[in-house]
Amino acid sequence: MTFTTSLKHAIPKLREALSCPLTRQICLYHSYEYSQPAPFSTSESAILSSAITHVPNYGFTPTALKLGARDAGYLDVSTNLLPRGVFDLVNYHLVTQRLALKDTVQFPAEGDLKPGEALEVGVKVRALVLSRLRANGLIINRWQEALAIMAQPSYMSSSIAELARLADEIWFLAGDTSVDTSWYTKRASLSAIYSATEVFMTQDQSTNFADTEKFLDARLEDSLKAESFLAGLGDWADYTGHSFVNLLRSKGMRI
Amino acid sequence: MSGTTAKLLARHQFFQGARLAARRNPYRCLSCSAQNAQQQNTPPPPGQDAPKTTHFGFETIAEALKEQKVGAVFSSVASSYDTMNDLMSLGIHRLWKDYFVRNLNPGSNPLTSPSTTVQGWNILDIAGGTGDIAFRMLDHASTINNDAHTRVTVADINPDMLAEGRKRALETPYARSPRLSFVEANAEHLTNIPGNSIDLYTVAFGIRNFTNKDAALREAFRVLKPGGVFACLEFSKVNNSLFDAVYKRWSFGAIPLIGQLVAGDRDSYQYLVESIERFPSQTEFRDMIKDAGFLVPGRGWEDLTGGIAAIHKGVKPIKAQN
Repeated sequence: MTFTTSLKHAIPKLREALSCPLTRQICLYHSYEYSQPAPFSTSESAILSSAITHVPNYGFTPTALKLGARDAGYLDVSTNLLPRGVFDLVNYHLVTQRLALKDTVQFPAEGDLKPGEALEVGVKVRALVLSRLRANGLIINRWQEALAIMAQPSYMSSSIAELARLADEIWFLAGDTSVDTSWYTKRASLSAIYSATEVFMTQDQSTNFADTEKFLDARLEDSLKAESFLAGLGDWADYTGHSFVNLLRSKGMRI
Repeated sequence: MSGTTAKLLARHQFFQGARLAARRNPYRCLSCSAQNAQQQNTPPPPGQDAPKTTHFGFETIAEALKEQKVGAVFSSVASSYDTMNDLMSLGIHRLWKDYFVRNLNPGSNPLTSPSTTVQGWNILDIAGGTGDIAFRMLDHASTINNDAHTRVTVADINPDMLAEGRKRALETPYARSPRLSFVEANAEHLTNIPGNSIDLYTVAFGIRNFTNKDAALREAFRVLKPGGVFACLEFSKVNNSLFDAVYKRWSFGAIPLIGQLVAGDRDSYQYLVESIERFPSQTEFRDMIKDAGFLVPGRGWEDLTGGIAAIHKGVKPIKAQN
Protein backbone atom coordinates (compact mmCIF):
# COMPACT_ATOMS: atom_id res chain seq x y z
CA MET A 1 0.00 0.00 0.00
CA THR A 2 2.72 2.43 1.01
CA PHE A 3 4.81 1.65 -2.00
CA THR A 4 1.96 2.06 -4.45
CA THR A 5 0.83 5.29 -2.76
CA SER A 6 4.26 6.83 -2.97
CA LEU A 7 4.52 5.63 -6.55
CA LYS A 8 1.17 7.19 -7.34
CA HIS A 9 2.34 10.42 -5.74
CA ALA A 10 5.46 10.32 -7.86
CA ILE A 11 3.65 9.89 -11.17
CA PRO A 12 2.11 13.37 -11.47
CA LYS A 13 5.38 14.97 -10.41
CA LEU A 14 7.24 12.93 -13.01
CA ARG A 15 4.73 14.00 -15.65
CA GLU A 16 5.17 17.65 -14.69
CA ALA A 17 8.94 17.24 -14.88
CA LEU A 18 8.70 15.74 -18.34
CA SER A 19 5.99 18.29 -19.20
CA CYS A 20 3.93 15.71 -21.05
CA PRO A 21 1.19 17.29 -23.12
CA LEU A 22 -1.80 16.05 -21.15
CA THR A 23 -5.36 16.84 -22.07
CA ARG A 24 -6.32 19.67 -19.81
CA GLN A 25 -9.43 18.72 -17.93
CA ILE A 26 -10.85 19.59 -14.59
CA CYS A 27 -11.36 16.57 -12.36
CA LEU A 28 -14.04 16.80 -9.72
CA TYR A 29 -12.27 14.15 -7.67
CA HIS A 30 -8.77 13.49 -6.41
CA SER A 31 -6.85 11.90 -9.21
CA TYR A 32 -3.28 10.73 -9.26
CA GLU A 33 -3.40 10.24 -13.00
CA TYR A 34 -4.09 13.79 -14.13
CA SER A 35 -2.45 16.93 -12.88
CA GLN A 36 -5.02 19.63 -12.25
CA PRO A 37 -4.73 22.76 -14.39
CA ALA A 38 -3.34 25.73 -12.48
CA PRO A 39 -6.18 27.53 -10.69
CA PHE A 40 -5.04 30.97 -11.86
CA SER A 41 -3.62 32.19 -15.17
CA THR A 42 -0.05 33.50 -15.16
CA SER A 43 -1.05 37.16 -15.32
CA GLU A 44 -3.73 36.73 -12.65
CA SER A 45 -1.36 35.02 -10.26
CA ALA A 46 1.34 37.63 -10.98
CA ILE A 47 -1.02 40.42 -9.85
CA LEU A 48 -2.61 38.48 -6.98
CA SER A 49 0.61 37.12 -5.51
CA SER A 50 2.10 40.61 -5.31
CA ALA A 51 -1.19 42.03 -4.04
CA ILE A 52 -1.31 39.56 -1.15
CA THR A 53 1.97 40.99 0.18
CA HIS A 54 0.24 44.36 0.58
CA VAL A 55 -2.64 42.90 2.59
CA PRO A 56 -1.03 43.34 6.06
CA ASN A 57 -0.77 47.11 5.37
CA TYR A 58 -3.78 47.84 3.20
CA GLY A 59 -6.15 44.97 3.90
CA PHE A 60 -8.28 43.19 1.34
CA THR A 61 -8.95 46.38 -0.60
CA PRO A 62 -8.76 47.63 -4.19
CA THR A 63 -5.68 49.58 -3.05
CA ALA A 64 -3.81 46.36 -2.27
CA LEU A 65 -4.82 45.07 -5.69
CA LYS A 66 -3.60 48.20 -7.47
CA LEU A 67 -0.28 48.15 -5.61
CA GLY A 68 0.08 44.48 -6.44
CA ALA A 69 -0.59 45.16 -10.11
CA ARG A 70 2.09 47.88 -10.10
CA ASP A 71 4.61 45.56 -8.44
CA ALA A 72 3.95 42.96 -11.10
CA GLY A 73 4.63 45.52 -13.84
CA TYR A 74 0.98 46.14 -14.68
CA LEU A 75 -1.05 49.34 -14.51
CA ASP A 76 -3.69 50.33 -11.96
CA VAL A 77 -6.33 49.69 -14.57
CA SER A 78 -5.11 46.12 -15.08
CA THR A 79 -6.92 45.10 -11.87
CA ASN A 80 -9.93 44.83 -14.18
CA LEU A 81 -8.44 41.47 -15.13
CA LEU A 82 -9.99 40.20 -11.90
CA PRO A 83 -13.73 40.10 -12.52
CA ARG A 84 -14.67 39.87 -8.83
CA GLY A 85 -12.17 42.44 -7.56
CA VAL A 86 -11.22 42.03 -3.89
CA PHE A 87 -13.04 38.72 -3.62
CA ASP A 88 -10.57 37.34 -6.13
CA LEU A 89 -7.81 38.36 -3.73
CA VAL A 90 -9.51 36.56 -0.84
CA ASN A 91 -10.17 33.57 -3.07
CA TYR A 92 -6.53 33.52 -4.13
CA HIS A 93 -5.45 33.24 -0.51
CA LEU A 94 -8.00 30.48 0.15
CA VAL A 95 -7.08 28.42 -2.90
CA THR A 96 -3.30 28.76 -2.64
CA GLN A 97 -3.30 27.93 1.09
CA ARG A 98 -5.56 24.93 0.51
CA LEU A 99 -3.29 23.60 -2.22
CA ALA A 100 -0.21 24.31 -0.08
CA LEU A 101 -1.49 22.02 2.70
CA LYS A 102 -0.29 18.84 1.05
CA ASP A 103 3.26 20.20 0.96
CA THR A 104 3.39 21.94 4.33
CA VAL A 105 2.08 19.02 6.40
CA GLN A 106 4.09 15.83 6.01
CA PHE A 107 3.12 12.74 7.91
CA PRO A 108 5.63 9.92 8.39
CA ALA A 109 4.87 7.11 6.00
CA GLU A 110 3.26 4.16 7.76
CA GLY A 111 6.16 1.89 6.98
CA ASP A 112 8.54 4.11 8.97
CA LEU A 113 6.53 3.77 12.16
CA LYS A 114 6.76 0.98 14.65
CA PRO A 115 3.60 -1.11 14.97
CA GLY A 116 1.11 0.47 17.39
CA GLU A 117 2.49 3.92 16.74
CA ALA A 118 0.42 4.69 13.66
CA LEU A 119 -1.12 8.15 13.61
CA GLU A 120 -4.85 8.24 14.06
CA VAL A 121 -6.94 10.02 11.46
CA GLY A 122 -8.16 12.44 14.14
CA VAL A 123 -4.59 13.49 15.02
CA LYS A 124 -3.84 14.10 11.36
CA VAL A 125 -6.98 16.16 10.93
CA ARG A 126 -6.03 18.29 13.92
CA ALA A 127 -2.53 18.87 12.54
CA LEU A 128 -3.90 19.82 9.12
CA VAL A 129 -6.50 22.22 10.50
CA LEU A 130 -3.88 23.90 12.70
CA SER A 131 -1.50 24.23 9.78
CA ARG A 132 -4.23 25.80 7.64
CA LEU A 133 -5.15 28.21 10.44
CA ARG A 134 -1.53 29.23 10.94
CA ALA A 135 -1.41 30.16 7.25
CA ASN A 136 -3.84 32.97 8.18
CA GLY A 137 -1.46 34.12 10.92
CA LEU A 138 0.35 36.76 8.87
CA ILE A 139 -2.84 38.50 7.83
CA ILE A 140 -4.94 37.69 10.88
CA ASN A 141 -5.52 41.38 11.63
CA ARG A 142 -7.17 41.75 8.23
CA TRP A 143 -8.97 38.43 8.18
CA GLN A 144 -12.22 39.89 9.49
CA GLU A 145 -12.37 42.04 6.34
CA ALA A 146 -11.97 38.91 4.26
CA LEU A 147 -14.72 37.17 6.22
CA ALA A 148 -16.98 40.15 5.60
CA ILE A 149 -16.26 40.04 1.86
CA MET A 150 -16.90 36.30 1.77
CA ALA A 151 -20.24 36.82 3.53
CA GLN A 152 -21.54 39.14 0.81
CA PRO A 153 -24.54 37.50 -0.85
CA SER A 154 -22.98 37.38 -4.32
CA TYR A 155 -19.83 35.66 -3.06
CA MET A 156 -21.43 33.46 -0.39
CA SER A 157 -21.87 30.40 -2.59
CA SER A 158 -18.27 30.50 -3.86
CA SER A 159 -17.01 30.89 -0.28
CA ILE A 160 -19.03 27.97 1.01
CA ALA A 161 -17.89 25.84 -1.92
CA GLU A 162 -14.29 26.73 -1.10
CA LEU A 163 -14.87 25.78 2.56
CA ALA A 164 -16.27 22.44 1.43
CA ARG A 165 -13.21 21.90 -0.78
CA LEU A 166 -10.93 22.66 2.18
CA ALA A 167 -12.77 20.16 4.43
CA ASP A 168 -12.57 17.58 1.67
CA GLU A 169 -8.84 18.23 1.19
CA ILE A 170 -8.17 17.84 4.90
CA TRP A 171 -10.05 14.54 5.21
CA PHE A 172 -8.37 13.30 2.06
CA LEU A 173 -4.88 14.20 3.25
CA ALA A 174 -5.65 12.67 6.64
CA GLY A 175 -6.22 9.41 4.81
CA ASP A 176 -9.92 9.03 5.46
CA THR A 177 -11.41 6.42 3.13
CA SER A 178 -15.00 6.24 4.33
CA VAL A 179 -17.60 5.60 1.65
CA ASP A 180 -20.75 5.60 3.79
CA THR A 181 -22.92 8.51 4.92
CA SER A 182 -20.19 9.56 7.35
CA TRP A 183 -18.39 10.94 4.25
CA TYR A 184 -20.93 13.77 4.34
CA THR A 185 -21.21 14.21 8.11
CA LYS A 186 -17.44 14.30 8.53
CA ARG A 187 -17.06 17.06 5.95
CA ALA A 188 -20.01 19.01 7.31
CA SER A 189 -18.79 18.87 10.91
CA LEU A 190 -15.22 19.73 9.97
CA SER A 191 -16.45 22.72 7.93
CA ALA A 192 -18.40 23.95 10.94
CA ILE A 193 -15.46 23.46 13.32
CA TYR A 194 -12.99 25.09 10.94
CA SER A 195 -15.09 28.18 10.29
CA ALA A 196 -15.85 28.64 14.00
CA THR A 197 -12.16 28.34 14.90
CA GLU A 198 -11.23 30.75 12.12
CA VAL A 199 -13.56 33.39 13.54
CA PHE A 200 -12.23 32.73 17.05
CA MET A 201 -8.67 33.15 15.81
CA THR A 202 -9.34 36.71 14.58
CA GLN A 203 -9.81 37.75 18.22
CA ASP A 204 -7.10 35.58 19.73
CA GLN A 205 -4.64 37.69 21.74
CA SER A 206 -2.56 34.82 23.13
CA THR A 207 1.02 34.19 22.03
CA ASN A 208 1.39 31.85 19.12
CA PHE A 209 -2.39 31.31 19.00
CA ALA A 210 -2.39 28.99 22.01
CA ASP A 211 -6.03 29.86 22.75
CA THR A 212 -7.05 29.00 19.21
CA GLU A 213 -5.46 25.61 19.64
CA LYS A 214 -7.40 25.05 22.85
CA PHE A 215 -10.60 26.18 21.17
CA LEU A 216 -10.02 23.78 18.29
CA ASP A 217 -9.37 20.85 20.64
CA ALA A 218 -12.56 21.59 22.54
CA ARG A 219 -14.58 21.69 19.32
CA LEU A 220 -13.07 18.46 18.03
CA GLU A 221 -13.90 16.80 21.35
CA ASP A 222 -17.47 18.12 21.13
CA SER A 223 -17.83 16.65 17.70
CA LEU A 224 -16.60 13.26 18.90
CA LYS A 225 -19.12 13.40 21.73
CA ALA A 226 -21.87 14.45 19.34
CA GLU A 227 -20.87 11.67 16.99
CA SER A 228 -21.02 9.00 19.70
CA PHE A 229 -24.27 10.50 20.95
CA LEU A 230 -25.74 10.41 17.45
CA ALA A 231 -24.51 6.86 16.95
CA GLY A 232 -26.10 5.90 20.28
CA LEU A 233 -29.29 7.67 19.29
CA GLY A 234 -29.28 5.76 16.01
CA ASP A 235 -28.86 2.45 17.79
CA TRP A 236 -31.63 3.29 20.21
CA ALA A 237 -33.99 4.35 17.42
CA ASP A 238 -33.18 1.20 15.48
CA TYR A 239 -33.83 -1.02 18.51
CA THR A 240 -37.03 0.78 19.53
CA GLY A 241 -38.36 0.77 15.99
CA HIS A 242 -37.79 -2.93 15.56
CA SER A 243 -39.35 -3.66 18.96
CA PHE A 244 -42.39 -1.59 18.03
CA VAL A 245 -42.83 -3.40 14.72
CA ASN A 246 -42.43 -6.75 16.44
CA LEU A 247 -44.98 -5.71 19.05
CA LEU A 248 -47.49 -4.87 16.33
CA ARG A 249 -46.77 -8.15 14.57
CA SER A 250 -47.38 -10.04 17.81
CA LYS A 251 -50.84 -8.41 17.92
CA GLY A 252 -51.57 -10.00 14.53
CA MET A 253 -50.93 -6.99 12.31
CA ARG A 254 -49.47 -7.92 8.91
CA ILE A 255 -46.42 -5.69 8.44
CA MET B 1 -51.90 61.30 -79.64
CA SER B 2 -49.14 63.13 -77.91
CA GLY B 3 -51.54 63.55 -74.97
CA THR B 4 -52.08 59.78 -74.60
CA THR B 5 -48.36 59.09 -75.01
CA ALA B 6 -47.58 61.58 -72.30
CA LYS B 7 -50.25 60.03 -70.06
CA LEU B 8 -48.93 56.54 -70.71
CA LEU B 9 -45.40 57.66 -70.06
CA ALA B 10 -46.42 59.37 -66.87
CA ARG B 11 -48.26 56.24 -65.70
CA HIS B 12 -45.28 54.12 -66.58
CA GLN B 13 -42.98 56.38 -64.65
CA PHE B 14 -45.38 56.41 -61.73
CA PHE B 15 -45.43 52.64 -61.48
CA GLN B 16 -41.73 52.38 -61.92
CA GLY B 17 -41.22 54.98 -59.25
CA ALA B 18 -43.55 53.15 -56.91
CA ARG B 19 -41.78 49.89 -57.57
CA LEU B 20 -38.42 51.51 -56.92
CA ALA B 21 -39.72 53.08 -53.75
CA ALA B 22 -41.05 49.73 -52.64
CA ARG B 23 -37.68 48.16 -53.23
CA ARG B 24 -35.82 50.90 -51.47
CA ASN B 25 -38.15 51.29 -48.47
CA PRO B 26 -39.96 48.02 -47.97
CA TYR B 27 -42.76 48.19 -45.44
CA ARG B 28 -41.22 47.16 -42.18
CA CYS B 29 -42.82 45.11 -39.51
CA LEU B 30 -41.38 42.56 -37.14
CA SER B 31 -42.02 39.62 -39.48
CA CYS B 32 -40.84 41.47 -42.60
CA SER B 33 -37.67 42.54 -40.84
CA ALA B 34 -37.01 38.97 -39.86
CA GLN B 35 -37.66 37.87 -43.45
CA ASN B 36 -35.39 40.55 -44.78
CA ALA B 37 -32.73 39.47 -42.37
CA GLN B 38 -32.94 35.92 -43.60
CA GLN B 39 -32.88 36.93 -47.22
CA GLN B 40 -30.00 39.28 -46.78
CA ASN B 41 -28.05 36.88 -44.64
CA THR B 42 -27.11 35.00 -47.77
CA PRO B 43 -23.74 36.26 -48.94
CA PRO B 44 -23.65 38.19 -52.21
CA PRO B 45 -22.60 36.13 -55.24
CA PRO B 46 -18.85 36.07 -55.54
CA GLY B 47 -17.80 38.45 -58.24
CA GLN B 48 -14.44 39.83 -59.21
CA ASP B 49 -15.33 43.47 -58.91
CA ALA B 50 -18.22 43.16 -56.40
CA PRO B 51 -17.65 45.80 -53.70
CA LYS B 52 -17.11 44.56 -50.11
CA THR B 53 -20.37 44.67 -48.21
CA THR B 54 -21.35 45.07 -44.59
CA HIS B 55 -24.52 45.30 -42.52
CA PHE B 56 -26.54 48.41 -42.02
CA GLY B 57 -29.26 47.17 -39.73
CA PHE B 58 -30.85 44.33 -41.69
CA GLU B 59 -29.77 45.78 -45.02
CA THR B 60 -26.59 44.77 -46.76
CA ILE B 61 -24.72 47.73 -48.19
CA ALA B 62 -21.31 48.50 -49.60
CA GLU B 63 -18.67 49.02 -46.92
CA ALA B 64 -17.89 52.47 -48.23
CA LEU B 65 -21.48 53.54 -47.62
CA LYS B 66 -21.86 52.38 -44.00
CA GLU B 67 -19.80 55.12 -42.40
CA GLN B 68 -21.79 57.72 -44.28
CA LYS B 69 -25.15 56.19 -43.42
CA VAL B 70 -24.31 55.74 -39.73
CA GLY B 71 -23.10 59.33 -39.78
CA ALA B 72 -26.48 60.44 -41.09
CA VAL B 73 -28.29 58.44 -38.37
CA PHE B 74 -26.32 59.99 -35.55
CA SER B 75 -26.42 63.49 -36.99
CA SER B 76 -30.18 63.25 -36.98
CA VAL B 77 -30.48 61.88 -33.44
CA ALA B 78 -27.77 63.98 -31.74
CA SER B 79 -30.08 66.65 -30.33
CA SER B 80 -32.72 64.30 -28.95
CA TYR B 81 -30.21 61.64 -27.91
CA ASP B 82 -30.76 61.82 -24.16
CA THR B 83 -34.55 62.03 -24.17
CA MET B 84 -34.72 59.14 -26.60
CA ASN B 85 -32.33 56.98 -24.59
CA ASP B 86 -34.40 57.57 -21.47
CA LEU B 87 -37.64 56.70 -23.23
CA MET B 88 -36.32 53.66 -25.04
CA SER B 89 -34.54 52.07 -22.08
CA LEU B 90 -36.98 53.39 -19.45
CA GLY B 91 -34.03 55.20 -17.88
CA ILE B 92 -32.04 52.02 -17.34
CA HIS B 93 -29.22 53.16 -19.65
CA ARG B 94 -28.12 55.55 -16.88
CA LEU B 95 -27.80 52.67 -14.44
CA TRP B 96 -25.80 50.68 -16.96
CA LYS B 97 -23.43 53.57 -17.60
CA ASP B 98 -23.05 54.29 -13.87
CA TYR B 99 -22.30 50.65 -13.20
CA PHE B 100 -19.88 50.46 -16.13
CA VAL B 101 -17.83 53.36 -14.75
CA ARG B 102 -18.02 52.28 -11.10
CA ASN B 103 -16.91 48.82 -12.09
CA LEU B 104 -13.85 50.16 -13.94
CA ASN B 105 -13.01 52.35 -10.94
CA PRO B 106 -11.00 54.96 -12.87
CA GLY B 107 -8.40 57.11 -11.14
CA SER B 108 -5.50 56.49 -8.77
CA ASN B 109 -5.60 57.77 -5.24
CA PRO B 110 -2.59 60.11 -4.85
CA LEU B 111 -2.12 58.96 -1.24
CA THR B 112 -1.26 55.43 -2.26
CA SER B 113 0.50 56.19 -5.54
CA PRO B 114 4.25 56.57 -5.53
CA SER B 115 5.08 60.09 -6.73
CA THR B 116 7.51 58.83 -9.35
CA THR B 117 4.85 57.37 -11.61
CA VAL B 118 2.80 59.37 -14.06
CA GLN B 119 -0.24 60.67 -12.26
CA GLY B 120 -3.74 59.81 -13.27
CA TRP B 121 -5.05 57.60 -16.01
CA ASN B 122 -5.13 58.35 -19.68
CA ILE B 123 -8.61 57.36 -20.81
CA LEU B 124 -9.80 57.25 -24.39
CA ASP B 125 -13.57 57.19 -24.81
CA ILE B 126 -14.37 56.09 -28.33
CA ALA B 127 -17.76 56.94 -29.84
CA GLY B 128 -18.43 58.97 -26.71
CA GLY B 129 -19.53 62.11 -28.51
CA THR B 130 -22.12 63.28 -26.02
CA GLY B 131 -19.69 62.76 -23.14
CA ASP B 132 -21.99 60.49 -21.14
CA ILE B 133 -19.16 58.17 -20.14
CA ALA B 134 -16.42 60.82 -20.04
CA PHE B 135 -18.16 62.99 -17.42
CA ARG B 136 -18.92 59.96 -15.28
CA MET B 137 -15.28 58.83 -15.50
CA LEU B 138 -13.98 62.24 -14.43
CA ASP B 139 -16.56 62.50 -11.64
CA HIS B 140 -15.64 59.06 -10.34
CA ALA B 141 -11.90 59.75 -10.48
CA SER B 142 -12.27 63.11 -8.70
CA THR B 143 -14.80 62.28 -6.01
CA ILE B 144 -14.16 58.61 -5.27
CA ASN B 145 -10.42 58.36 -5.85
CA ASN B 146 -9.46 62.02 -5.17
CA ASP B 147 -7.56 61.99 -8.42
CA ALA B 148 -7.29 65.38 -10.12
CA HIS B 149 -5.06 64.21 -12.95
CA THR B 150 -7.01 61.56 -14.83
CA ARG B 151 -7.67 62.74 -18.39
CA VAL B 152 -10.36 61.69 -20.83
CA THR B 153 -10.13 62.10 -24.58
CA VAL B 154 -13.52 61.82 -26.21
CA ALA B 155 -13.26 60.61 -29.77
CA ASP B 156 -16.19 60.40 -32.13
CA ILE B 157 -16.51 60.14 -35.86
CA ASN B 158 -19.52 62.41 -35.88
CA PRO B 159 -19.03 66.19 -35.48
CA ASP B 160 -22.70 66.69 -34.53
CA MET B 161 -22.40 64.32 -31.56
CA LEU B 162 -19.13 66.02 -30.53
CA ALA B 163 -20.83 69.41 -30.70
CA GLU B 164 -23.53 68.07 -28.39
CA GLY B 165 -20.83 66.83 -26.01
CA ARG B 166 -18.97 70.16 -26.03
CA LYS B 167 -22.22 71.94 -25.27
CA ARG B 168 -22.90 69.63 -22.35
CA ALA B 169 -19.34 69.88 -21.06
CA LEU B 170 -20.00 73.56 -20.34
CA GLU B 171 -22.29 72.48 -17.50
CA THR B 172 -19.54 70.38 -15.90
CA PRO B 173 -16.41 71.55 -14.03
CA TYR B 174 -14.24 70.04 -16.76
CA ALA B 175 -15.22 72.33 -19.64
CA ARG B 176 -12.03 74.40 -19.77
CA SER B 177 -9.70 72.05 -17.93
CA PRO B 178 -6.99 70.05 -19.69
CA ARG B 179 -8.60 66.90 -18.31
CA LEU B 180 -11.22 66.73 -21.05
CA SER B 181 -10.68 66.99 -24.78
CA PHE B 182 -12.74 66.20 -27.83
CA VAL B 183 -11.34 64.85 -31.09
CA GLU B 184 -12.96 63.78 -34.30
CA ALA B 185 -11.54 60.38 -35.16
CA ASN B 186 -12.37 57.10 -36.82
CA ALA B 187 -11.95 54.21 -34.39
CA GLU B 188 -10.49 52.05 -37.16
CA HIS B 189 -7.63 54.49 -37.84
CA LEU B 190 -6.69 56.40 -34.70
CA THR B 191 -3.86 58.10 -36.53
CA ASN B 192 -3.45 61.01 -34.12
CA ILE B 193 -3.18 58.75 -31.05
CA PRO B 194 0.27 57.20 -30.48
CA GLY B 195 0.66 53.50 -29.70
CA ASN B 196 1.09 52.29 -26.08
CA SER B 197 -0.28 55.54 -24.67
CA ILE B 198 -3.71 54.76 -23.23
CA ASP B 199 -4.58 53.17 -19.86
CA LEU B 200 -8.24 52.60 -20.50
CA TYR B 201 -10.08 52.41 -23.80
CA THR B 202 -13.85 52.54 -23.45
CA VAL B 203 -16.58 52.28 -26.01
CA ALA B 204 -20.17 52.46 -24.83
CA PHE B 205 -22.95 51.65 -27.30
CA GLY B 206 -20.68 52.46 -30.21
CA ILE B 207 -18.85 49.42 -31.50
CA ARG B 208 -22.10 48.10 -32.98
CA ASN B 209 -21.96 50.85 -35.59
CA PHE B 210 -18.37 50.30 -36.68
CA THR B 211 -17.90 49.11 -40.23
CA ASN B 212 -14.99 46.85 -39.33
CA LYS B 213 -15.09 45.77 -35.69
CA ASP B 214 -11.95 43.64 -35.92
CA ALA B 215 -9.94 46.59 -37.26
CA ALA B 216 -11.24 48.73 -34.38
CA LEU B 217 -10.21 46.06 -31.86
CA ARG B 218 -6.74 45.82 -33.38
CA GLU B 219 -6.45 49.59 -33.23
CA ALA B 220 -7.53 49.50 -29.58
CA PHE B 221 -4.81 46.93 -28.93
CA ARG B 222 -2.26 49.20 -30.57
CA VAL B 223 -3.04 52.39 -28.65
CA LEU B 224 -3.29 50.68 -25.24
CA LYS B 225 -0.28 50.48 -22.93
CA PRO B 226 0.75 46.95 -21.95
CA GLY B 227 -1.59 46.11 -19.08
CA GLY B 228 -4.16 48.59 -20.40
CA VAL B 229 -7.82 47.69 -20.51
CA PHE B 230 -10.35 47.60 -23.33
CA ALA B 231 -13.87 47.95 -21.94
CA CYS B 232 -17.01 47.85 -24.01
CA LEU B 233 -20.60 48.43 -22.97
CA GLU B 234 -22.91 47.24 -25.70
CA PHE B 235 -26.30 45.72 -26.38
CA SER B 236 -26.17 41.97 -26.43
CA LYS B 237 -28.33 38.87 -26.48
CA VAL B 238 -31.00 38.21 -23.87
CA ASN B 239 -30.54 34.84 -22.17
CA ASN B 240 -34.09 34.04 -21.11
CA SER B 241 -36.30 33.19 -24.09
CA LEU B 242 -39.49 34.45 -22.45
CA PHE B 243 -37.90 37.77 -21.55
CA ASP B 244 -36.38 37.85 -25.02
CA ALA B 245 -39.84 37.65 -26.62
CA VAL B 246 -41.04 40.60 -24.55
CA TYR B 247 -37.85 42.52 -25.28
CA LYS B 248 -38.12 41.90 -29.05
CA ARG B 249 -41.72 43.14 -28.99
CA TRP B 250 -40.59 46.28 -27.25
CA SER B 251 -37.57 46.94 -29.42
CA PHE B 252 -39.17 46.27 -32.81
CA GLY B 253 -42.63 47.56 -31.91
CA ALA B 254 -42.18 50.45 -29.53
CA ILE B 255 -38.75 51.93 -30.21
CA PRO B 256 -39.26 52.98 -33.86
CA LEU B 257 -42.65 54.36 -32.85
CA ILE B 258 -41.16 56.39 -29.99
CA GLY B 259 -38.51 57.59 -32.47
CA GLN B 260 -41.19 58.71 -34.87
CA LEU B 261 -43.26 60.49 -32.23
CA VAL B 262 -40.49 62.11 -30.19
CA ALA B 263 -37.59 62.63 -32.58
CA GLY B 264 -39.64 62.62 -35.77
CA ASP B 265 -37.28 60.05 -37.26
CA ARG B 266 -38.49 56.49 -37.57
CA ASP B 267 -35.76 55.17 -39.85
CA SER B 268 -32.86 56.03 -37.54
CA TYR B 269 -34.43 54.13 -34.68
CA GLN B 270 -35.39 51.26 -36.94
CA TYR B 271 -31.69 51.10 -37.80
CA LEU B 272 -30.86 51.17 -34.08
CA VAL B 273 -32.93 48.10 -33.21
CA GLU B 274 -31.82 46.21 -36.30
CA SER B 275 -28.16 46.90 -35.57
CA ILE B 276 -28.70 45.58 -32.01
CA GLU B 277 -30.18 42.41 -33.49
CA ARG B 278 -27.21 42.08 -35.82
CA PHE B 279 -24.51 42.51 -33.18
CA PRO B 280 -22.62 39.28 -32.29
CA SER B 281 -23.56 37.36 -29.17
CA GLN B 282 -21.59 37.54 -25.92
CA THR B 283 -19.40 34.55 -26.71
CA GLU B 284 -18.76 35.57 -30.32
CA PHE B 285 -17.72 39.07 -29.29
CA ARG B 286 -15.58 37.67 -26.46
CA ASP B 287 -13.77 35.54 -29.03
CA MET B 288 -13.27 38.57 -31.28
CA ILE B 289 -11.63 40.37 -28.34
CA LYS B 290 -9.42 37.34 -27.69
CA ASP B 291 -8.48 37.15 -31.36
CA ALA B 292 -7.28 40.74 -31.25
CA GLY B 293 -4.71 39.61 -28.64
CA PHE B 294 -6.41 40.57 -25.38
CA LEU B 295 -6.59 38.52 -22.19
CA VAL B 296 -10.19 38.34 -21.03
CA PRO B 297 -11.05 38.40 -17.32
CA GLY B 298 -13.05 35.39 -16.13
CA ARG B 299 -15.50 34.28 -18.79
CA GLY B 300 -15.00 37.61 -20.58
CA TRP B 301 -18.24 39.48 -20.11
CA GLU B 302 -20.89 40.49 -17.61
CA ASP B 303 -24.58 40.60 -18.49
CA LEU B 304 -26.70 43.59 -17.52
CA THR B 305 -30.48 43.35 -17.17
CA GLY B 306 -30.63 39.73 -18.30
CA GLY B 307 -28.30 40.26 -21.25
CA ILE B 308 -29.98 43.26 -22.90
CA ALA B 309 -26.58 44.89 -22.52
CA ALA B 310 -23.22 43.37 -21.62
CA ILE B 311 -19.85 44.64 -20.45
CA HIS B 312 -16.94 43.05 -22.26
CA LYS B 313 -13.37 43.57 -21.09
CA GLY B 314 -9.95 42.72 -22.39
CA VAL B 315 -6.51 43.35 -20.93
CA LYS B 316 -3.49 43.88 -23.15
CA PRO B 317 -0.84 41.43 -21.96
CA ILE B 318 2.51 42.78 -20.75
CA LYS B 319 4.54 40.55 -23.01
CA ALA B 320 3.64 39.99 -26.63
CA GLN B 321 2.20 36.57 -25.86
CA ASN B 322 1.40 35.45 -22.37
